[in-house]
Amino acid sequence: MTRRFTRHISRQLAAYLDGQLTQPRAQRAEIHLRQCAHCRAEYEQVRLGMQRVEHLPLVEAPDAIWLSVEAALEARPASQTQSLVRWRWAVAATVILALAGAAYWRISQPAGAQWEVLRLAGSPSVAGERIGGTGRVGAGEWIETDASSRATVRVGAIGSVEISPDTRLRVVTAQPGEHRLALARGEIRAKISAPPKLFFVDTAAGTAVDLGCEYALSTDEHGLGLLSVTKGWVLFQWQGIESLVPAGASCRTRPQAGPGIPYFEDAPESLKQAVENFGFEKAGGGLGAILSESRVRDTLTLWHLLSRVEGADRERVFDRMAALTPVPAGVSRELALKLDPQTLEHWREELAWTW
Amino acid sequence: MVDLSGREIVEACRAGDRDAFRALYDLYKDRVYSISLHFFHGDAAAAGDVTQQVFLKLMTSIRQYRGDAEFSTWLYRLVVNACMDAARSRKAEPAISDPSRMDTLTARGSQEEDYARAQMANSVRAAVSALPPKFRMAVLLRYFDDLSYEQMARALHCSMGTVASRLSRGHKMLAERLKGLGGTKD
Repeated sequence: MTRRFTRHISRQLAAYLDGQLTQPRAQRAEIHLRQCAHCRAEYEQVRLGMQRVEHLPLVEAPDAIWLSVEAALEARPASQTQSLVRWRWAVAATVILALAGAAYWRISQPAGAQWEVLRLAGSPSVAGERIGGTGRVGAGEWIETDASSRATVRVGAIGSVEISPDTRLRVVTAQPGEHRLALARGEIRAKISAPPKLFFVDTAAGTAVDLGCEYALSTDEHGLGLLSVTKGWVLFQWQGIESLVPAGASCRTRPQAGPGIPYFEDAPESLKQAVENFGFEKAGGGLGAILSESRVRDTLTLWHLLSRVEGADRERVFDRMAALTPVPAGVSRELALKLDPQTLEHWREELAWTW
Repeated sequence: MVDLSGREIVEACRAGDRDAFRALYDLYKDRVYSISLHFFHGDAAAAGDVTQQVFLKLMTSIRQYRGDAEFSTWLYRLVVNACMDAARSRKAEPAISDPSRMDTLTARGSQEEDYARAQMANSVRAAVSALPPKFRMAVLLRYFDDLSYEQMARALHCSMGTVASRLSRGHKMLAERLKGLGGTKD
């Protein structure tokens, strides 16, 4: 067998069949196929697989989905607390549609300098004034709730934020290109439907950057808090430290330490406990527990750990990740241990399919 | 892929034309729904939720779409994200195809189809459903829209080489799972 045959073209076969290889590469593939029985057999399999897929039917989307999309859009400004209308309840939503008319177009207008605030319970205040039903809040103004009050603020045209009791929240920027709040203390629940990086929440421990998501964020005055994501992704950053938190995961925040290491809520309790201790004490004592308790899905935690430990500890983290799930092509141990940004990003993208 | 009329529809959507939103939805709804349906093992409720999320997100953020990327790439990126998010929240559920769901799917057109074709379709659906998610999504994107590997790479947020590799491995796995079935081999 010549040297050429040791370089099989298995990975390129679909591209060859789909005419997606450049002409020189396609010619090389063709020559290789003529001479390599192994790749010819694989070629036939890929081709057969492509033929089989053609038996998959294109299924018509139920009409109810469109109704639910319209209803959800129109329901958003009416009540910031209303959950997204589930498409399967769309028959009921048609009633809302009939009443709501062209309300959608209200939300597609550019956000003004002031956002609407709705009282949900008790007596929330805006800029020191109690609001009865609704109020308006602009940049630089505070929204406050006491122990028995709650409110919702409509964030321009991109979503809403529910404000829990005992919360103090300030609107920093209210522009279409940047929607920024500052959470001094308390808890908020954000539901944002917008391209990434249009909505930000500052806390004493750093900034939560929306990447298209729903999440709860709580903090005290010093920055001791918790971020829990229920949909999409949130990036929490502080002085160069970043935690990328997907749906189903949480992340602690601490004063002068920023975001901790994210973990999935369904992770073993012992792992979660070890992560919480490890993330801020940096003593390294909990690393063994994290590594031994981690599942494939907990590579979320391990991926973040890689850049927060050094030397032999980093090697242990890498080795545990490699044991849990195959290291993808394009990720070398050497570059990963050097924290090469491109390598880590590529690895994260591959791992995200298991998260 | 968006043709000239598709591009015009997108532009009209950006300008706030309400009818254009409906036209855009009609243009893509079946493909988005079908990808989601087959990704979620024939679970119509999950597919409906994902389809709703995708179009809701699209319609609330299309003003920010600057046309610097192809529309279909952006749309399918939303589909991939929504499927991954939904899969993440359903992590506790078994990722095995549910035969009863598959039977329900078959029932729609099976009266006019012969039994063998229906059986084949069921087997293919089950085999696709059993693929690991990243291979499954690549196979579905390739099949349900005429995307180039470059567009798929953008939608899947990976390199073109990775797309090629996933499609090669995914289709090979399908052929292996379905090797007992008859059918043309032209």
